[in-house]
Amino acid sequence: MKGDRSRQNMAVTKKAKLKKNDEPKKVLKTAATEKGEGSKRYSLWNFWISTLFLKLLLIPDYFSTDFDVHRNWLAITNKLPISEWYYEHTSQWTLDYPPFFAYFEWFLSQFVPKSVRDDGCLDIVEIGKFGLPTIVFQRLTVIFSEILLFVILQIYINTTKLSERSQSFVVASSIVLSPGFLIIDHIHFQYNGFLFAILIGSIVAAKNKRYILCAVLYTTAICFKHIFLYLAPCYFVFLLRAYVLNVNNFKFKSYKDFLFLIRWANLLKLATVVVGIFTICFLPFAHQMPQVLSRLFPFSRGLTHAYWAPNFWALYSFMDKILTTVMLKLPYVHTFATKFIKPPLIPQNIKEINERLAANNNGSKGLVQDVFFVILPQIPPKLTFILTIFYQVLAVLPLLFDPSFKRFVGSLTLCGLASFLFGWHVHEKAIMLVIIPFTFLVGFDRRLLVPFMLVASAGYVSLYPLLYKGQDFFIKTLYTYVWCIIYFAAFRKTTKISSSVERRIFFLDRLALTYIFSLLPIVTVLQILDEVKWRYSFLQKFEFLGLMIYSVYCSLGIISSWFALSWLYNFDELLWQ
Amino acid sequence: MAIGKRLLVNKPAEESFYASPMYDFLYPFRPVGNQWLPEYIIFVCAVILRCTIGLGPYSGKGSPPLYGDFEAQRHWMEITQHLPLSKWYWYDLQYWGLDYPPLTAFHSYLLGLIGSFFNPSWFALEKSRGFESPDNGLKTYMRSTVIISDILFYFPAVIYFTKWLGRYRNQSPIGQSIAASAILFQPSLMLIDHGHFQYNSVMLGLTAYAINNLLDEYYAMAAVCFVLSICFKQMALYYAPIFFAYLLSRSLLFPKFNIARLTVIAFATLATFAIIFAPLYFLGGGLKNIHQCIHRIFPFARGIFEDKVANFWCVTNVFVKYKERFTIQQLQLYSLIATVIGFLPAMIMTLLHPKKHLLPYVLIACSMSFFLFSFQVHEKTILIPLLPITLLYSSTDWNVLSLVSWINNVALFTLWPLLKKDGLHLQYAVSFLLSNWLIGNFSFITPRFLPKSLTPGPSISSINSDYRRRSLLPYNVVWKSFIIGTYIAMGFYHFLDQFVAPPSKYPDLWVLLNCAVGFICFSIFWLWSYYKIFTSGSKSMKDL
Repeated sequence: MKGDRSRQNMAVTKKAKLKKNDEPKKVLKTAATEKGEGSKRYSLWNFWISTLFLKLLLIPDYFSTDFDVHRNWLAITNKLPISEWYYEHTSQWTLDYPPFFAYFEWFLSQFVPKSVRDDGCLDIVEIGKFGLPTIVFQRLTVIFSEILLFVILQIYINTTKLSERSQSFVVASSIVLSPGFLIIDHIHFQYNGFLFAILIGSIVAAKNKRYILCAVLYTTAICFKHIFLYLAPCYFVFLLRAYVLNVNNFKFKSYKDFLFLIRWANLLKLATVVVGIFTICFLPFAHQMPQVLSRLFPFSRGLTHAYWAPNFWALYSFMDKILTTVMLKLPYVHTFATKFIKPPLIPQNIKEINERLAANNNGSKGLVQDVFFVILPQIPPKLTFILTIFYQVLAVLPLLFDPSFKRFVGSLTLCGLASFLFGWHVHEKAIMLVIIPFTFLVGFDRRLLVPFMLVASAGYVSLYPLLYKGQDFFIKTLYTYVWCIIYFAAFRKTTKISSSVERRIFFLDRLALTYIFSLLPIVTVLQILDEVKWRYSFLQKFEFLGLMIYSVYCSLGIISSWFALSWLYNFDELLWQ
Repeated sequence: MAIGKRLLVNKPAEESFYASPMYDFLYPFRPVGNQWLPEYIIFVCAVILRCTIGLGPYSGKGSPPLYGDFEAQRHWMEITQHLPLSKWYWYDLQYWGLDYPPLTAFHSYLLGLIGSFFNPSWFALEKSRGFESPDNGLKTYMRSTVIISDILFYFPAVIYFTKWLGRYRNQSPIGQSIAASAILFQPSLMLIDHGHFQYNSVMLGLTAYAINNLLDEYYAMAAVCFVLSICFKQMALYYAPIFFAYLLSRSLLFPKFNIARLTVIAFATLATFAIIFAPLYFLGGGLKNIHQCIHRIFPFARGIFEDKVANFWCVTNVFVKYKERFTIQQLQLYSLIATVIGFLPAMIMTLLHPKKHLLPYVLIACSMSFFLFSFQVHEKTILIPLLPITLLYSSTDWNVLSLVSWINNVALFTLWPLLKKDGLHLQYAVSFLLSNWLIGNFSFITPRFLPKSLTPGPSISSINSDYRRRSLLPYNVVWKSFIIGTYIAMGFYHFLDQFVAPPSKYPDLWVLLNCAVGFICFSIFWLWSYYKIFTSGSKSMKDL
């Protein structure tokens, strides 16, 4: 017996020794490999897996009316012939996206299993009636279509040169983990991850100087969602200057030399692909173009969306309310103002102010389709277009002289900002059109970091009212907060130190940080006020005070970011070389 | 050579979860200046995960007339709000009568006070029974209270434990963070507290605080924390023999007889009990009220087990119909004897060898004995042995980590009938996959059809592209085969549960199969913990 035990012990000891001997070899191997920078893979795989788990757990969460919008579109494209897609109006959620997105919905509808069909998913009804099967199916379509975003960003990482790969990895991972996509796509319910993937594909193609592919992807993106038209001036000038015009070799000798200014072959190729894609998209609707266009561009809507997007017009509306309140309480202010501003630019007297208030009943409401200003002049759509175009032209002009990728992305960001700040009927979700291009830009210089931090934090916080239910408060707030902590630190680490001789303006940097850190207590206080407003009558009088605070405070951040970026874009030469 | 040495020094501590997704995510924070950041991130991610699990349904949702545990907790907030203390343990006992110790009652009182500020109708006396607000306001509030209780009690205790161990072993801070995240992402506690709806994290957190105080040798404070844990949920008594033996041994035998320490510990224990029960005595009607409280806490009038549970009595009831053969008193006696026999070796070992590194194992052996052999055990009670088991994720022994990971999966598996009843299918599947994936248990799966750049593997950490982390399975072939066999059995069970109806003669057959698999696994794990106790006496905390 004893002998047996001792033998077993010896065997165990031998095995242990063997194991110990094995370990140093492994360590040495890894040590040797760890020296190689190329061994880092910069894969987004783990990010996709971990966020997949999170998105699955969000399936039973709140969703907005956009969920029924897309359910209705599934039904329309599945049940009706193409000729009726843009005429169907049983439900108020009529199809108002471009035809490529309609095709996409049709494609998704081919995968609807029987249990989901029986649940009412594909019924064309005035108000959707559906249960858990439909919810699971539609949530899964968002999750799987978003894979395109991961693939395109992985390609972006892989096509970057090795010395810049860690920076591009930070850019890519910050986008795939964006709080915006989590809030808007996986809770509120939309397909932005999939749609922005196409836009990002065009940006990546531009970076790699594959201009035809860039044009193809951008045109496709427009045909999926026409909001991307806001960036059209930038793409037009960039492709014109980088691909069509032959400025470097141009020498004037006679007027016919202007013919050689244009690379006709390239122009022909570019025009062919753009027109070709538009043709593929709209040809089946050739006889319905007026109807389709009226669906895509409904100009009967008001200046601001139901909830104030944090843009210039939010500040304008806020100023109008302030002036109204001040003039009602302090009549001499009105008297003083009329000395400089004559009616009808300003109301004639206090009585007229009260009449305007009574007629439009907008003293306490924020949820109206048409915004009416009491003191300040009304804003027609034409003015918003003029302002938007003006600032977009300012953003695009430098591209004519310097069609580098850096200038391109800067221009993209400013075009997005101009359309967001001054556009007609801007949705708060449009802030993604600013943040995504800016993410590709921020790595080029340390001084771009503060404007980026401002627009990202203010932009994401401005999405919070989309999820007004208390159950999402911790999720949206903590997720955004930890994202900001990680990626502001990561960008700071990977961005280049400024090459400019101009010194940083430290005071404004600290002011910006103060602004950003103030967002958290403001959000928390507003949430608590929202929870207890039922028991304080004076809070009920200002039921949209919270929304106003979100709107105004966030717009301050975004406008500040716009000022900073515009300054750097237009006056800092070294940054763009 | 220098590099090799440094790696040799660091590698063993981090070997546990090397090349796992968890390691990959936390790798960027290795530089010394970033030490606070990974803990913060783990903390926030754990909270977010709990919030998303809480979006699912809860116990008893839409199930009149009695509903479930959610309604029980809400009801206790209701009665503690509106009734004097003298009636808390007497009021309408047929409808979720209060049957937890006073600290839970005070906890409910506080939460009800705050909740009534937001909306009094949530807790209106009698009128609010089964309240399910259309806007989910009550549910949101209740979910928030569980999350905040978790944050205040469980999270800091776990993080402190891993930090203590890490410092003791000169473990890298990143290794500490990885261990903390493995513990915090354990799925069973998340699903029972934030899905089903209970406040186990308070009781478990207080117990973890007690363990931390034992490690720091603050014995009186350890006694206080443990008494608070018992006074929150009486189930913490599963640990009592070990705490008693350890404190007694440290006072009388190791390092020497110390009457002052014994006196202080005794005083702290009695004083804490007195403080907790004093309101019942002075404000609630004297000894009569205390007696009623204790009577409610220990319901010996009920059967040997309730529902199906993976313990000895339920599983062997298939062969021996206990109710038919024995009286309740006899069964109580038999279960008491079996339980005492079960934990006595661990208690004796603690008395004779009160070592810190043995604490998790003796706590496992003792609480698992109670789970397997005690009277009136519920399936959720597995969370109690799971606390010391899960704390062993801070071990650096591959075999220990393998068994801890395995038994956590088994425990989650045994909770499936309960979670299924609650409608938490999605949360069950996702938390199982997520917790195992994070610690690298699915690293052996490599989709070959994807382009190389998209294949799974580390994103940021500098690990060889060809390195493929092994799943957490013991080195021993017999152990490995057995564990894989249990996984196959669990998979087979889920197949049956999903696609095959049980025979009409035996409607509970599948559930019993679930219990049988669980019981076998728990028994073997229990014996293994005794093996560790008796073979680790000469080791130290470094070898945990």
